[in-house]
Amino acid sequence: MDFLTKTIRLIIEGLVTGSIYSLVALGYTMVYGIIELINFAHGDIFMMGTLVTLLLVTNVFHLSNASAMPLGNLLLMLVVSFLASTVICALLGVLIERVAYRPLRNAPRLAPLISAIGVSLALEDTAKAIIGPSAVTTPPLIPLVNYSWGPILLHNTDIIVLIVAVLLMVGLQWLVTSTRIGRAMRAVAQDREAAALMGVNVDQVIAFTFLVGAGIAGAGGFFFLLWSNDTSFNIGFELGLFAFTAAVLGGIGNLVGAMLGGLAIGLIRSLMALWPETPPFGLPHGGVSWQDAAVFAILILILVFRPTGLLGQQLAEKV
Amino acid sequence: MAMLVPSQILPQTGETRRLLVKWVIAFLVPVLVFTLVWSGEAMLNAALLAIFFPANFSVSTLAAGLFMLLFYGIILGLVGYLVAADSGRQGMIDLWISMFFFTVVPILLIYITANLFVGLAASVVVWVIYYYGRRLVQLFLSSPSLPPLPSLTVLDTEMRATLTTRARLGSFWFALLFSLVWLLADLLFYFTGQYGQASLLFLIWIVLRTVLLPVAGWLLGGVGGQIAVRHALQANGNGGNGDRSDTPVSTRRLRLLSATRAREEARDLVPNDLPLRSTGARNFYIWLLVALLLFYPMIDPFLFGAGTNARLDNYANAGYYVILALGLNIVVGFAGLLDLGYVAFFVIGAYTWAMVGSPQLTVLTGIRINPEIWPWLFWPMLIVAALIAALWGVLLGAPTLRLRGDYLAIVTLGFGEIIPIVVQNLDKYTNGTNGLTGIYSPAFFGVRWNVSTSEPYYYLILVLIAIVLLANVRLRDSRIGRAWVAMREDEIAAASSGINLTRTKLLAFAAGAFFSGIAGAYYAAKLSTVASGNFSFSDSVIYLAMVVLGGLGSIPGVVVGALVVYAVNVLVLPQLDALGNDPTSIIYPIYTHILQVIPNFSFSNIRNLIFGIILVVLMIFRPEGLIPSTRRRRELHRAEFEGAEITSLDTPPGAPGFESEIHVE
Repeated sequence: MDFLTKTIRLIIEGLVTGSIYSLVALGYTMVYGIIELINFAHGDIFMMGTLVTLLLVTNVFHLSNASAMPLGNLLLMLVVSFLASTVICALLGVLIERVAYRPLRNAPRLAPLISAIGVSLALEDTAKAIIGPSAVTTPPLIPLVNYSWGPILLHNTDIIVLIVAVLLMVGLQWLVTSTRIGRAMRAVAQDREAAALMGVNVDQVIAFTFLVGAGIAGAGGFFFLLWSNDTSFNIGFELGLFAFTAAVLGGIGNLVGAMLGGLAIGLIRSLMALWPETPPFGLPHGGVSWQDAAVFAILILILVFRPTGLLGQQLAEKV
Repeated sequence: MAMLVPSQILPQTGETRRLLVKWVIAFLVPVLVFTLVWSGEAMLNAALLAIFFPANFSVSTLAAGLFMLLFYGIILGLVGYLVAADSGRQGMIDLWISMFFFTVVPILLIYITANLFVGLAASVVVWVIYYYGRRLVQLFLSSPSLPPLPSLTVLDTEMRATLTTRARLGSFWFALLFSLVWLLADLLFYFTGQYGQASLLFLIWIVLRTVLLPVAGWLLGGVGGQIAVRHALQANGNGGNGDRSDTPVSTRRLRLLSATRAREEARDLVPNDLPLRSTGARNFYIWLLVALLLFYPMIDPFLFGAGTNARLDNYANAGYYVILALGLNIVVGFAGLLDLGYVAFFVIGAYTWAMVGSPQLTVLTGIRINPEIWPWLFWPMLIVAALIAALWGVLLGAPTLRLRGDYLAIVTLGFGEIIPIVVQNLDKYTNGTNGLTGIYSPAFFGVRWNVSTSEPYYYLILVLIAIVLLANVRLRDSRIGRAWVAMREDEIAAASSGINLTRTKLLAFAAGAFFSGIAGAYYAAKLSTVASGNFSFSDSVIYLAMVVLGGLGSIPGVVVGALVVYAVNVLVLPQLDALGNDPTSIIYPIYTHILQVIPNFSFSNIRNLIFGIILVVLMIFRPEGLIPSTRRRRELHRAEFEGAEITSLDTPPGAPGFESEIHVE
């Protein structure tokens, strides 16, 4: 594979992973926007999405070879696992909010954060108890088709993920900007007490935010498994951190920012693979070994130089 | 000299006898159980044999005997103190039941299970049941809580004398009864011929002991009584009527007074409604604990039999968790900055000694050091490692200063993830995942350090913990410590009061990282190997769980939290797995059932599930932790009350029930 082909492939992979980061980042940014909490468990909800899909596909539909499966069964499997991972994760998100965050809404800042870490740990080890400590691989969920035009190599899964991610993001944007409940969400995010005085049921709106955010993360989990065919109990933690970085990069609380931030992080991570090992500017073991470090370095740099993110606005801390 | 004390402690003729009976019996049972049922007497007898028969001589046996002498001495003083300090408000039976559950039960459980941690874990279960059962019974009987402290009365010279005499009497009677029971038991042994070779020696010892113990009781009881009286003076200073024209106010007393005030602990008032929990009694416990820790390696074989080395190894490992928890407590507990990458500083500390104290130094720089001198470098490098870690703490802290708490958590998390990656990728220097091996142990005069003997490490970590504890206490009570707490409670208010936030935050980071560096260097030296794969985010979370469980900002709480988390993590969960795999154990059927449903199940695998649930439950029901610091508890409760005012309305206006939500005052 020549350099150009490799680069284009990396860009495509970066865009696909980036769009999955975006889907997860949306949940972070929505929750942060509305209750100013970093929902540490959000990445693990995503992981739960992959887990639900994995369990359905292997234990219920007994998938071994997608191309040998009748089309009807295949479609049923995909629709059922997509809906199941979305709905289960959405409900899980609401449950977590109800159990672990709502009782702490007026506690000191540290309390909900530590509670969120606790939820994250609990989810991870639940998954570990179910699928074990090592990564699990599934057979391809759909028959893989490759398209190739000159240096461009595309899989059908790439296209599906990109299209669905865009659809979900547009849908969410519409939900937040153009519906009644979206207006309520923005109102609560702006001023919870004033919103309550205007007749907004704050608890319901916050629960709805968790429902939507976790549902999108669950859908992201389904498409991630469709695209990469593997998952593990701690995938959500890492991916959650990248997604959070994406949310911060775009300006936390800003939906468009989270989407663009996700794509940017995906591209940067992917393109790090091009960084050579050879001197003079080489990294030991090449850029691949430094992908994660690069993301965290970006996170730290943004927070240092522009904590509001690229699209965020400066807000004074409330007294 | 007239002093003020609560009137109820005034000696009343009928009272003294009742108090004596109360405390003598309360202490007689546990001390007898320890001496006769468990290992107390065995230690003393072994020490006697060691003195008089050169063939049996060993320093550690002598030390065990010395420990027993210290133990009895401290107990005698404590009994005297308690008799003098008691206000007689806790009922006699009540006290006996409490003493039974908090002393006899753990002693027996540890003795039966022959395992410190399993015994303590079982005791904790018993204590929880006892605590709630007691509350239920109290509710059922609807007995009123203890009355408030009564009005103050004059404590004159005469009464001080009476109190001291009472203390002497208490300790004397306790010693007398104790030695008589012991005498009876031993005579029984003697005449049934249990003491083979040294029977004459033991006869002399038994008689001597029976005579000497009451005398010692009289003397030490006096000391205990005087301590109680001195604490009474202090109490007066804290809440008296200001009439102390005849007492010169010493600096020492003023300092004590301000410390009391700062901690706002009303229980410092002695005589106390619960003398077992008073500051004076606490000093006795601390002495007892210090003696136990110092002599532990020598008495361990008597307590638990073979396998001392492995147990000490566990305790030496638990020790660096304590240091890490204390360090993290500064950052999270005192200063309120959530640090999720604390493991990074530990890694830095570990690698500092690993790279200087192993052959890697020669590989990298070509420097050769005499292997006799090399281990000695550990001591300066301990400080250097801590300083390097502290420097990194500042470097990391500096850019995050402008950030709010939760962003800070993420940045530190990122940093904690980067450091192991960097260590792994720079394998030219650090040897990556293979790690560095052959790291030198420290050296010290006359001590044989060896990876397989744990005793030196046990004492080393004890000394390090003592230093770190002292530093922590001093930091907490210092100007900077108060600045940290002020910052934690309200940054804006703290800044308005003239606290330099930048400097204060950086100092918190530096101090936390410093202690982590110490722990890291110790870890590298003890394990003699470090590898990049040994450190991860989940370690940082474990440290956080220790601090949160024990109580954010509470030094004793954090120590206990670290020990509990370590015990659950390293000792209890693998033990449960071993039991689960053992077909003869009780939990085997349950375990196999779980395995049928979840094939990958093991208790060690769900460690984080347990800690995660503990974190959530603690945050909701007891955010101040198991042993909270007074200040933190107040802060949290205040937040609760204020929270009631600013919550949103549950019912929207116009909906039924809305009117009832609005309170006009």
